[in-house]
Parts: sequence; C-alpha cells; structure tokens
Amino acid sequence: MNNTISLTLLHLAFCFTLVSFTPISALELHGTGANMVETTCQKTPFYNLCVSALKSDPRSSGADVAGLAQIGADKLKAKATATLRQITALLKVAKDPKLKMALRDCADYYNAIVKYDIPVAVEAVTKGDPKFGVEGATDAANEADACARGFKNQPKFPIYASNKVVHDLSAVVASIVQLLL
Amino acid sequence: PLFYKGWYHLFYQYNPDAAVWGHIVWGHAVSKDLIHWLHLPLAMAADQWYDKNGVWTGSATILHDGKIVMLYTGSTTEGVQVQNLAYPADQYDPLLVHWVKYPRNPVLVPPPGIGPNDFRDPTTAWLTSEGKWRITIGSKINKTGIALVYDTTDFINYEMLDGLLHAVPGTGMWECVDFFPVSETENNGLETSINGPGVKHVVKASLDDDRHDYYAIGTYNDRNGTWIPDRPNIDVGIGLRYDYGIYYAAKTFYDQNKKRRVLWGWIGESDSEAADVKKGWASVQSIPRTILFDKKTGTHLLQWPVEEIDSLRLKGKEFNQVRIQAGSVVPLDIDSATQLDIIAEFKIDSDALKKATGSSDASFDCSTSGGAAERGALGPFGLLVLADSRLSEQTPVYFYMTKGSDGNLKTFFCNDQSRSSKASDVNKHIYGSLVPVLRGENLSIRILVDHSIIESFGQGGRTVITSRVYPTKAIYGAAKVFLFNNATELNVTASLKIWQMNSAFIQPYPNL
Repeated sequence: MNNTISLTLLHLAFCFTLVSFTPISALELHGTGANMVETTCQKTPFYNLCVSALKSDPRSSGADVAGLAQIGADKLKAKATATLRQITALLKVAKDPKLKMALRDCADYYNAIVKYDIPVAVEAVTKGDPKFGVEGATDAANEADACARGFKNQPKFPIYASNKVVHDLSAVVASIVQLLL
Repeated sequence: PLFYKGWYHLFYQYNPDAAVWGHIVWGHAVSKDLIHWLHLPLAMAADQWYDKNGVWTGSATILHDGKIVMLYTGSTTEGVQVQNLAYPADQYDPLLVHWVKYPRNPVLVPPPGIGPNDFRDPTTAWLTSEGKWRITIGSKINKTGIALVYDTTDFINYEMLDGLLHAVPGTGMWECVDFFPVSETENNGLETSINGPGVKHVVKASLDDDRHDYYAIGTYNDRNGTWIPDRPNIDVGIGLRYDYGIYYAAKTFYDQNKKRRVLWGWIGESDSEAADVKKGWASVQSIPRTILFDKKTGTHLLQWPVEEIDSLRLKGKEFNQVRIQAGSVVPLDIDSATQLDIIAEFKIDSDALKKATGSSDASFDCSTSGGAAERGALGPFGLLVLADSRLSEQTPVYFYMTKGSDGNLKTFFCNDQSRSSKASDVNKHIYGSLVPVLRGENLSIRILVDHSIIESFGQGGRTVITSRVYPTKAIYGAAKVFLFNNATELNVTASLKIWQMNSAFIQPYPNL
C-alpha cells in the first residue's frame, strides 16, 4: 500500500515537472488509451498502419481490446467500401475484356468483404464468440489477396495501393480479435 | 442430438440469414436411420433477452421417466453467456417440433472469477452415486482451459462443486466439452451415467484457440467430481484429436436404440466466404461415427461411420492383390468416382522394412512435409481420390512410414490437399498424424468420398482425417480414383473394395 502511494506521488511530481517543460510529452504520459493502442498494435503484423488507423478515431483513447477491434473493423469497412466504389468506377470505363474480368472478380471479393466478412467479425466480437471474428477478418485478407492475384497477368493493377491497405488492415483486425480468444 | 420415440434428432447451429456465421439459432432435423433426414422448423429462435445474441450449443438429458430436458447456452442482450433450460412443448410428439423455454431463465450465470464470455456449452447430465444429476461446462482462467462442475436435482437450481472436473494449462478456452464413459471390454456404447470397473471416462474439449477437438482417456472420481488422464503427457488439449482435418465442435450422444455412442461433428468449409455466399450454403455435418475404446492399443478411441451408411452402397467392385511398384500410379476402373465408399488394405514387404536404413532425423510431420510428392524410402503410398485422368488435380490419402535410428517403425496417416484443386482460394494444407500400427496388422484405410468432403479412417478409425476439397476438373464424370506408391524402396500390394454411394435425399418440411 505504501509503495503505491509513494509511486503515485512520484508520478504526479513527474507530471508537474514535465508540464512546465514539454507539454507534448505530458499528453503522452496521460494516455492509458494511447498505450493500449500501442501495445495492442505491437501484436499485429502492421504496427504503423494499426496505430494510425486506430488513433485517427477519437474513440480509441480509453477503448479496451474489444473496442479497438470494433474501431479497426469500422476503418476496414470504410476502406473496403471506398475501394469497391473505385472498382465499380473502373469497370464502367474498362474496355479490355481481361481487365473487366479481373475487376469483376475483385468486385465479388469486395462485396463479400463489405457484406459478410466485416459484419461477421463485428457480430462475433459483440456477441462474445470472437473466433468467428478472426475467421471473418482473415477471410477479408484472403479476398484481397485473391483480387490481387487476378491482376498477375495484367500490365497494371490500378487499385494496388487501396487493395494492399484493405489486406493489411484485415490482418491487423484479425490479430486484434485473436487477442480476445 | 438424441434418440426419442423411434426418431433420431439433430439440433444444430444455424444462421437462417446467410451462408456465414451470425444470428445463430437452433435448426432441427429428424431421421429413422441417421442417413435419411427430414428438416423440421427451427426448434428455438433468439427471442428472449437471455439468448437474443445467440441460441448456442446445448445438450439433452433424458430423465428417469423418459422426459427430455435441454440445457443450452444463450448469449444475452449484453453478450453475457448464460445457461438456459428448455423442454419439449409436447412430450407425446415424437418429432419434438415445438419447444418451450423455462420462464425464469437463465438457470446459470457465470460464477465469480469466470468471464462473461467464458461460460458455454453445458453437457448432457449424468447421475452421481447420490442420485443427483451432474453436468460440466467448459471455461478458462487466463490461458488454462477448465471444466466446471454443477450438481442439480431439478435442472433449475444448481450447486457448483468446489473443484474442477479437470484443467490443463496453456490450452485456452474449452468449448463444447463432452464427458462420457467407454467400456474397456465390450463392443457397445455406454449410457452416460454408467460407472464402475471396466469403465474408463473420456474428457473432450474443443479448443477455441486452434479450432481442433481433443480428447483424453482417464478415470473419473464420482465422490469429488474430478477426472485424471491415464497419460498426462497426452492430456486434454495437448494430445490426441478426434480428427486431424477440418472437424470441430463435435459431441456424442448415447443411442439407446442400438446401444452405441455416436459422435457428431461439424465440418466447416475451407474455401473463401465469397465462394460460400455465391454457392448459397456453408458447412456440413459429418457422417455420424460410433465411438469405442480401442482395446488393442488402450490409448486411443476408434471412430467408424455408423453401419447405416452401408445402406447407401450401390455397385461394388473388388480389386485383389494389386501390386503397386515403387514410384507408380495404378488407375482403378470404376464408373463414377464422386460418391464412394472405399475399404482398402495394404500389405508391405517385411524384408524391405528390415532392409531400410533407419535415420536419426525422426521428425516427420504430415503438415510440414512435401505431401505425397515427397518420396521417402517407406512412403508415401495410398490412394488418390477426386483426381482427374491427367492427375492435374488429386487428393492423396496415404501412409508414410519412417524408421528411426533405433530401428523402430512409425507410421503416419496423411491427407494432402496441396494439389487438390487448380483454384487458388482454397485451403491447400496437408493434414495428418501418427497412427499406431500393431504387430501383425496390415495397413487399412476406409474413405468416404462425397464431392467436396473426404472422411478417411486409418487402422479401423484409430486416426481419422476429414478434409474439404474443391476440384475444378476432377468433378462428376471426370473424377477418378488411383492407387499410388511414391516410396523409393518399397513395393506395396493393395486389396480393396469400392462401392458407388447413392445420394441420401434430405426432405424439406412440408408446407414450410
């Protein structure tokens, strides 16, 4: 008990000192929320992407692992939906039949991601059987992979960048949900 | 699952809205023979606060007077896992179509120290020597998988025992725990409450962390409700599995009709969810299997397809003493090869076994090996199923023998999906495990092939592998079967019988 009190006093003293010299560092000291994001993201395969995705949402400070999983899933859904729109737009102007086929396949994969994989992941986390969430998020990463494979013999892969984000973010979400098992 | 008034019942986890997990409710089907089924209306929907987020796994207990009670896990509106009681609306209805939930559910909530998401899948109850009913429910404490024990007289009020049935560190959450007796001497199943000399008890858990079902054989102490494994080094979760392929959330029931213990298992998909959505369905139930204690090894359980599956056999063809030289493939001339029952026996030249040099590199593992293409001195050899004539697609089911530097032989039983399909979005892993082979035994395999489902039984069901494959060419009339021997120093002789299998038509419920 005594140790805790003296540690707390030390912590407060430390805070005060820092406030006067380095305001930015003081903010970092405050956030158990920020630490939670960092420690959680360390357990995912794409740390930087994970941190920037989660921190861009104000809900991430103070969120527990399940909350971070939800935020990650929301970000993934937004990115996947935007990518699906890109694919649809490209399909409208595409003329080459092989390009159209690759794009149509990607549209199918992204439909599965947005309509099924992500909602399943969110539902599994909220309802308390997270392994189905791992499955859903992993499947989303696989769908993005499948989309990329369709462009192997194409001269250009127009949605390369956004597809990679969707793939990597899916892997991140899968890893976060895995922590709930 | 249960048998009641002449009908076998299966209640299963079902999502009526999509071919992916979600909105789980209880589907229901009945059968007279475990093979031909009739779909019934949903038994239970998620219509109460205590199961709004999921009507999950449960178990039936048949009481002394023949009445049925059902305990099941509900995920509440807050996402908390609780146990609820339900019973048939009309016990005289052999089809048990309608179910009533106990008005004062839940009957059990997570006890102190147990997380709200770590309390699910109550078992069938068994009688204690005091005449009370006892159940076990899987859970975890940190990363230790555990089984909690409760006693009850009315299925409404429970007392939790101080101790656990069992616990194994590092195994994580125990789902779908099953606890049942097996006879060490008899060839029939045992009713769940049986105890005494000549009886061993099995504890089984589905590990949330790795999606595999593990079991261990041991001794049950009725007085304090505990169980200890015969061999702690192959304890629950760290030892034997029911099935080394894609097979999970399995559970047994005692079939009082034919005095056997029958195992049901969930075979998921190993294709993409996009494909599942497109085809409009996902997941199947395995052909039910009988479970017996393996008297010969004393360490394993034996699983075998229920005998009723034989009723689907049509034309059969025998192949006797087919010699398969090292490095060869032998086509088997049968008509259609997508629905098959294959029973095969392999004889190997014992001289070749003696001559083979033992290697100190005794680290073979089906899943990390090169599959059926990796040639060893004493393996692989077996069958190629769902293969096309050019072998551009093939699923080998085979044995691979190794010899240690001490001269000891080990036999592995594997299923290689790596070349099962040209499609790129399907699972291509190699499944399998060690299979005990006793002196004097020939190597034997039984395979049930059903389009995209392969259930393989090695050494009479000592080691079982279920896999899903999705060939693009080896389908319908183009699918073939071959014998193969890719070993370098072994000639093999195979005798087998292959039956075409009829389809078991599953009836929808009329007027639905």
